[in-house]
Amino acid sequence: MRGDAIHLDAVTKSFGATPVIDAITATLGGGEFTVILGPSGCGKSTLLNMIAGLERLNSGKIRIGVREVQDLPPKDRGCAMVFQNYALYPHMTVEGNIGYALKVAGVRQPERSRRVAEAARVVELGGLLDRRPSELSGGQRQRVAIARAIVREPRVLLFDEPLSNLDAKLRHGMRMELSQLHRTIGATTVFVTHDQVEAMTLADKVMILNKGRIEQFDTPHAIYYRPASSFVAGFIGAPPMNLLPVTGGGGVLRLDDGTELARNPHEGPAILGIRPEKISIGDKGFAARVVYREDLGSHTAIVARLSGGQEVQVATPIGMHLDPADTITFDFPQDHLHLFDPATGLRLETP
Amino acid sequence: MQKGFYSGRWTYAALVAPILVLIFLFFYVPVGLAFFWSLFLERPFGGGSQFVGLDNFARVLSDAEFWDALKRTAIFMIVAPSLAIGISLMLALAADRGLRGSSAARNIIIWPKAVAGASIGVVFVFVFNPFLGIFAPLNEIWPGFWNPRIDGTDAFITIVVAQVWNGIPFNFIILLSGLQTIPDTVTKAAVMDGASPWRRVWDIQIPLLTPQLFLTFVLEFVGTVVEAFGLIDTMTEGGPGGATTLLIYKIYVDGFKAYDLSGAATQTVILMLFVLIMVALQFRLEKHVKYER
Ligand SMILES: Nc1ncnc2c1ncn2[C@@H]1O[C@H](COP(=O)(O)OP(=O)(O)O)[C@@H](O)[C@H]1O
Ligand SMILES: [Mg+2]
Repeated sequence: MRGDAIHLDAVTKSFGATPVIDAITATLGGGEFTVILGPSGCGKSTLLNMIAGLERLNSGKIRIGVREVQDLPPKDRGCAMVFQNYALYPHMTVEGNIGYALKVAGVRQPERSRRVAEAARVVELGGLLDRRPSELSGGQRQRVAIARAIVREPRVLLFDEPLSNLDAKLRHGMRMELSQLHRTIGATTVFVTHDQVEAMTLADKVMILNKGRIEQFDTPHAIYYRPASSFVAGFIGAPPMNLLPVTGGGGVLRLDDGTELARNPHEGPAILGIRPEKISIGDKGFAARVVYREDLGSHTAIVARLSGGQEVQVATPIGMHLDPADTITFDFPQDHLHLFDPATGLRLETP
Repeated sequence: MQKGFYSGRWTYAALVAPILVLIFLFFYVPVGLAFFWSLFLERPFGGGSQFVGLDNFARVLSDAEFWDALKRTAIFMIVAPSLAIGISLMLALAADRGLRGSSAARNIIIWPKAVAGASIGVVFVFVFNPFLGIFAPLNEIWPGFWNPRIDGTDAFITIVVAQVWNGIPFNFIILLSGLQTIPDTVTKAAVMDGASPWRRVWDIQIPLLTPQLFLTFVLEFVGTVVEAFGLIDTMTEGGPGGATTLLIYKIYVDGFKAYDLSGAATQTVILMLFVLIMVALQFRLEKHVKYER
């Protein structure tokens, strides 16, 4: 592994009064694939640009490896970046695009061509080196952008939503290739996206950002199975986790109208979270009425309304025949419950 | 042209017709007449004309004053547009750098300011008038330092400066708007590739600005013929000693002051060919630099 770790130390940035990045402290592992995930406008690009050196910090420090970089210009940080709209130079050929950084750095011909050809081979672009960007498909342009980033053999590779301009099928293919590329190259990779599927499939670790703060920074597995806050719980999963306000007492959690939802020792108000696929439908539990049903092939998604009016999404195995207006009985299994503090949104660890 | 935008080709024809009529009446008809007259000897006070073939051309081309005027025109055509575009480009690059990453509001504020520059340009013609303007006091300090009335070079510089000044606001707007359409991420990509600001100007911004540079060059070229006339007429009247007599002004003097109508028509034809060749060369150049953004 030749990637350097990236240390963020109380990194803060604001445009005007409100902070866009609010004192973020974290370490992005060397050679790891870190995905920064969050809703649009939460500050993902800003954070990435600060690592790259395209945006100055208001305060805080960034170290890449052992070097403090927050005051270095982009070219001295050993980072390369791939942009969402590819950002290719339209007046240069593919070869010119990939080789531009080398040209600027003073790498002379045969050597330059050799390295451009090597980078083009890695992303399977051979044969297109003489084309202009306007003569390439979206997928090919993305490959050029990636080749341009890896040609200098950077220690850190930064991606800003690189797949969001591609259609769904291409996106899947590029995901696999990026994953393989990361294994071959071994550079520390930071990948910004708002697409949770990309995050869950690509990442060694996912940093979930919300309003300039880290909600959770952990493995995809942990983020799915132990969301650190109700925000993460509601953001991850398709459909996302159901979140219901409940009150605990006497070993059970109840809705406001008194309906008993599940057994749990928590006392006092809480947000109860349960994933749609963990809700079981049977003859023990509490009643709900089906309001909507969708057959999705692999499973059936239904929306049901509880006695208090709350809507709950449920994923049921195919073959269960339910129709709108049917009354069914739900059970929330005790070991699949998540509880969150209603005030802070943070996960409550139940004894 | 996009198909099916309007219902039929007649709609297009009807929309284009008025402008075509105007262009025909005020451009092609006079041009045609100039060609026609250049083959005749016209008597200044009436009394008919006589077909003389290419005699007029022979007469004009053997006239040293014509060649001097043509040479001055060529110098003016190269120097004034180059300066007008070079200066505008530098201003636009600076303004673009200032506007990068700022809000769209500032973007909108700059336009009226830039447009107001055009009227400043008109005022300039008076301000730099050597006899009324700011150079008059200088001459009191160093007599003869600046005297376009006597010194031909001073006079030539005056009209070049006026022409350049006049062209800057428009060029600036065109070039700045061109620079602003270069996507932010392309600039950022070049920064990541290690290119310094100057390097980005040469490698990224100017190449991506070629369509706008081409447009300003063509318009500046035509301007050196069309607008220069007004400047010369108001500022130097072709003098001193013909130092600022460009071909366009010589045509006017020959035709309307000396009543050599055939000679004027002939020189008009030659000037027209001259401009046509220049513009054709530019279009050839443009073919080599065309690309899609
Ligand atoms: N140059 C800027 N000037 C002012 N506000 C900005 C600028 N760049 C980003 N912002 C604001 O900062 C917030 C975060 O932006 P960004 O990092 O691009 O979000 P994301 O990439 O997560 O969608 C947004 O609200 C955006 O409007
Ligand atoms: Mg973004």
